[in-house]
Amino acid sequence: MEQPTAPKPPGAAISARELSKRYGRRQAVSGLTFTVESGQICALLGPNGAGKTSTMRMLAGLSRPDSGSARLLGEPSRLAAGVLARVGVAIDGPAFVPHLSGRRNLELSWRAGGRTWPPPALEEGLQLAGLGEALGAKKVKSYSMGMRQRLMLAQALMGGPEALILDEPANGLDPGEVRALREHLRRLAGRGAAVLISSHVLAEIELLATHVVVMNAGAVVTAGRLEDLLGTGAYEFEVDDVAHASRALRAVAGVRSVTAHGQRLSVLAPGYPVRELNQVLVSAGVGVGAVRAARSLEEAFLGLVEQDDAVR
Amino acid sequence: MLYVELATQLRRVRSLILLGVLVVLPVLAGVTEASKAGGRGGAMTYSALNFAEGGLNFMVPLLFGLVVAVFGAILGGADREWGTLRYRYVQPVSRRRLVTGKWWALLTCTALAMAVFLAVALLTGITIFGWHPYHVSGSSDLPAASASWAILGAAGYVTVCLLSIGSIALVLGLLLPRSVEALGITVAFLIGSAVLDNVPAAHDVIVLLPVHYWLRWTQLFGSHASQLIPGLAAQAAAIAVALAAGYLLLARRDPAA
Repeated sequence: MEQPTAPKPPGAAISARELSKRYGRRQAVSGLTFTVESGQICALLGPNGAGKTSTMRMLAGLSRPDSGSARLLGEPSRLAAGVLARVGVAIDGPAFVPHLSGRRNLELSWRAGGRTWPPPALEEGLQLAGLGEALGAKKVKSYSMGMRQRLMLAQALMGGPEALILDEPANGLDPGEVRALREHLRRLAGRGAAVLISSHVLAEIELLATHVVVMNAGAVVTAGRLEDLLGTGAYEFEVDDVAHASRALRAVAGVRSVTAHGQRLSVLAPGYPVRELNQVLVSAGVGVGAVRAARSLEEAFLGLVEQDDAVR
Repeated sequence: MLYVELATQLRRVRSLILLGVLVVLPVLAGVTEASKAGGRGGAMTYSALNFAEGGLNFMVPLLFGLVVAVFGAILGGADREWGTLRYRYVQPVSRRRLVTGKWWALLTCTALAMAVFLAVALLTGITIFGWHPYHVSGSSDLPAASASWAILGAAGYVTVCLLSIGSIALVLGLLLPRSVEALGITVAFLIGSAVLDNVPAAHDVIVLLPVHYWLRWTQLFGSHASQLIPGLAAQAAAIAVALAAGYLLLARRDPAA
């Protein structure tokens, strides 16, 4: 099977610089700046009305920013820009010609861009869509919501894109399909694609994203590595020997406190890499069952948004 | 884009029904005429060419105008109705390709409609009345070869005329939220123009309307074919204005708005 993208050196594949957009009296996006580099999976998070979809529309050239600029793969993004042929977009939900089959829709969508059928990563996209016989035999108007969603993802992925802009891609997917999508996106990112994804399913984002941009009321609240957002220096370790593990960790200079709760240890070590703490325990002969940041993405996200709301 | 638009539109039930109507109408008319004339060969002066010419007379301006207005409205409004416009843009398809692709599809559908109607009318005419010279009341008959060229010329001229109303419907389809609204306004314009064309007091307005020139195709069976030139110019102007308006409309509109 042909590989859609070869590994690429890191670089800003998706970038927004001082983007602003107003719809009537409502300021949808205000001075938004962030970048997604090749190989990164960046989650665009925010409550409803935060400006996520407006931002994605501007990045895909579907909406003109009032000010600021959007770039894709180093080129300015505007309506029907040539660079979009190298970008996969799924935005505002699925939309297809209802009286044609899924396969026919994919073909016409691809040919509309002036390209010859089939696209390089068609099989990969179809595998993810998993529509089976319905793909060619049934009209899209008879598809379920989940089937249309998967067809939309196949459409975004079939070209082997170097960058992806996905607005709520997991809507209507069952857990197995969500997992398949996650693995597919990881593979693409591993090959050097940049992925910008919006979702309200924070548990899913926590498993997938390498970076996050948190928006509220049209502006960036915080942006950076997911680890940094979650990493306040508070971790939880599940260990087989709590007493031995406590002694080993208390001996480490950067560790401020160690508290035991049954077989779990809560450790506060600001600025100390979690993998090194783990190494300390392993070296001391402690069996480590699980390690996690003490706060979830959901806690971090809600805390940031509430804090931002309080300031406004 | 032409292939994409045709593959999308010609599979629609309403397109197939329209083409079906264009097949059925001449057959029905032929059967009716044959029964009046006393059956096959009953009227030796009435030929397939007269029958085809009569069919055009019956269809222009309103019925053919309605058919092409439907094609134009659904071509213009389809992407908006299905929500596929944003996915066209990100493929990427430029505004110019979008408008011109739709217009070429309209041209193809219009020519196809005309070809289907004319072919069925001629075949029906040949079957029922036979292939004879074109009969002219009160004058000598026109040889079949000359009349055939006149019929073909008339079909070409009418196709260009129909494209003007189709282009207007297409632009209205791009502008309005639903194709049916575009169709309604186009048909109202078509009927209004046809009515106004019979009001001598409105002459100054009438000459600006493309529909005013549509019936001049009959000149091809006489000696005033040069009168078709202003008609062609009027249709070309209407098409150019409609296409420019369509492009400007898309250029000004924020696709996400």
